[in-house]
Amino acid sequence: MEEILIHTKDLCYSYEENDHKSPVLRGVSLDIRKGEYVAILGHNGSGKSTFAKLLNGILEPASGELTVAGIDLAAPELSDEDIFQLRRQVGMVFQNPDNQLVATIVEDDVAFGPENLGVPPAEIRSRVDEALATVGMSEYARHEPHRLSGGQKQRVAIAGLIAMRPSCMIFDESTAMLDPSGRREVIETFEKLNREQGITVLTITHYMNEAARADRVIVIDDGRVLADGTPHEIFADPGRLIVAGLDVPQCTSLIHALRGEGIALAGEPISPEECADLICRALEEKKNGNALA
Amino acid sequence: MATLSLENVSYVYGQRTPFEIKALDNVSLSVREGTVTGIIGHTGSGKSTLVQLLNGLEKPTSGKVMLDGVDIWEKPREIGKIRFRVGLVMQYPEYQLFEETIRADIAFGPRNMGLSKEEIDHRVSEAAGFVGLDPLLLDKSPFDLSGGQKRRAAIAGVMAMRPEVLVLDEPAAGLDPRGRDTILKGVRTYGRETGSTVIIVSHSMEDMATYCDDIIVMAKGRVCLSGTRDEVFANAKTLTEVGLGVPQITQLALLLEERGVALPGGIYTVEAAVAALKPLFQ
Repeated sequence: MEEILIHTKDLCYSYEENDHKSPVLRGVSLDIRKGEYVAILGHNGSGKSTFAKLLNGILEPASGELTVAGIDLAAPELSDEDIFQLRRQVGMVFQNPDNQLVATIVEDDVAFGPENLGVPPAEIRSRVDEALATVGMSEYARHEPHRLSGGQKQRVAIAGLIAMRPSCMIFDESTAMLDPSGRREVIETFEKLNREQGITVLTITHYMNEAARADRVIVIDDGRVLADGTPHEIFADPGRLIVAGLDVPQCTSLIHALRGEGIALAGEPISPEECADLICRALEEKKNGNALA
Repeated sequence: MATLSLENVSYVYGQRTPFEIKALDNVSLSVREGTVTGIIGHTGSGKSTLVQLLNGLEKPTSGKVMLDGVDIWEKPREIGKIRFRVGLVMQYPEYQLFEETIRADIAFGPRNMGLSKEEIDHRVSEAAGFVGLDPLLLDKSPFDLSGGQKRRAAIAGVMAMRPEVLVLDEPAAGLDPRGRDTILKGVRTYGRETGSTVIIVSHSMEDMATYCDDIIVMAKGRVCLSGTRDEVFANAKTLTEVGLGVPQITQLALLLEERGVALPGGIYTVEAAVAALKPLFQ
């Protein structure tokens, strides 16, 4: 059993407005192990972003258990030092690429995190170079961030996190404002970090095709965990997802629609390749069946 | 109803400065009256500049923007009137709500058009209906609504002016699948019921395939492909080369073709794929 990085039990959170509380999380219990690649799905207002903000201490839990990277975030006396340690471990990339770069030069922006951690200057230099190389942005080190594309800005934001050497990265709809190639750049970058450096990746998304690439999908609905499993398990039940205001990849819809027409197809494909395999196999079987008959 | 076209339009940012960038380079196109046209392209391909030219927010460096055959800049002082005829919904329009109630916000446009109170009330409820906004929400403050509801209210505010051409810059960005479908269906309904032309800028090939009649693909400040949805998606290779790709279901159709499964062209929705595959199993 791998080490557990995030543990929650009956985790609750309410926003307070005009003296009344509106509960957003109503008891979330789950464990995420080190090195996992997890997608979190849920409609707008389901509580998924609130969940992410609890994980790196932007919000404090109302009740329940929450332990991240060994730090008990539900402890009544949480020190600034604990939060500092937490944010070093758990980095977050937000939706809007224009809201998270602080410096006027790309490499200064990447250096901002390690500087705040008190890393010695020579090591900052090497961390920044390494981080920019990892996201494929070395040649832009001395560029101005505002002249970059959305995908490039998000990659610089990711480099800023890498330079802090976190064990977990959370992407809160970080691809929502990007064009298709920008989306691909960001996804390929965090998948590489997950695969090669074992960084735990949590990605919150509205794109079902993106969620289908993860190792595990957690569906949050009405502040609770509605479903938790592999993408194949989750997308096998389109009805449940549609009720939760979500969707399934087009290939999955196709297979379910064909089954609805009385065509026997075994399996739950979520990618075009798997779907093509399944259809070709079924057509082959049908041909053989006809030949026998 | 109105027809909109561009004739040899170029737009240059920072002209005669070291930062000169040609955002649009000799673009000519026309949008068919009463259709839903999608504009797709990369960040920096010129599509946002293009939509800002359509209602006269920006003036072309050269070339003409024609509405019903008349150059919209023929009488520059009357450009304000063009903005009632060509309604523009910008990206993340929910940040632009400013009135005390949703009703007042939606009514702002029609009130500026000098319409009667009865007509304004009618327009407000009609527009709220198009985007599926619950009438009970109309008297609430924008602060009490969710992001998706605010987005719909902002779009209704432009619809209430009943523009002959409704232009929306990424109306579904950041919304969940249900929110996305509600907005895009509402926009299509607006076009059908009022006979208006609708132009949608989007990054989602799936949304384009589902909701648009015609598609214009922009690349590097020029029109790279344009035509009906069938014509444009028939160029799957070009779309992939410019980095846009095709809907997942079209990828599947191409994979099946490679493996010798004969399918009719133009598969870009799940319904079309079901219709094409079903006979093969019978």
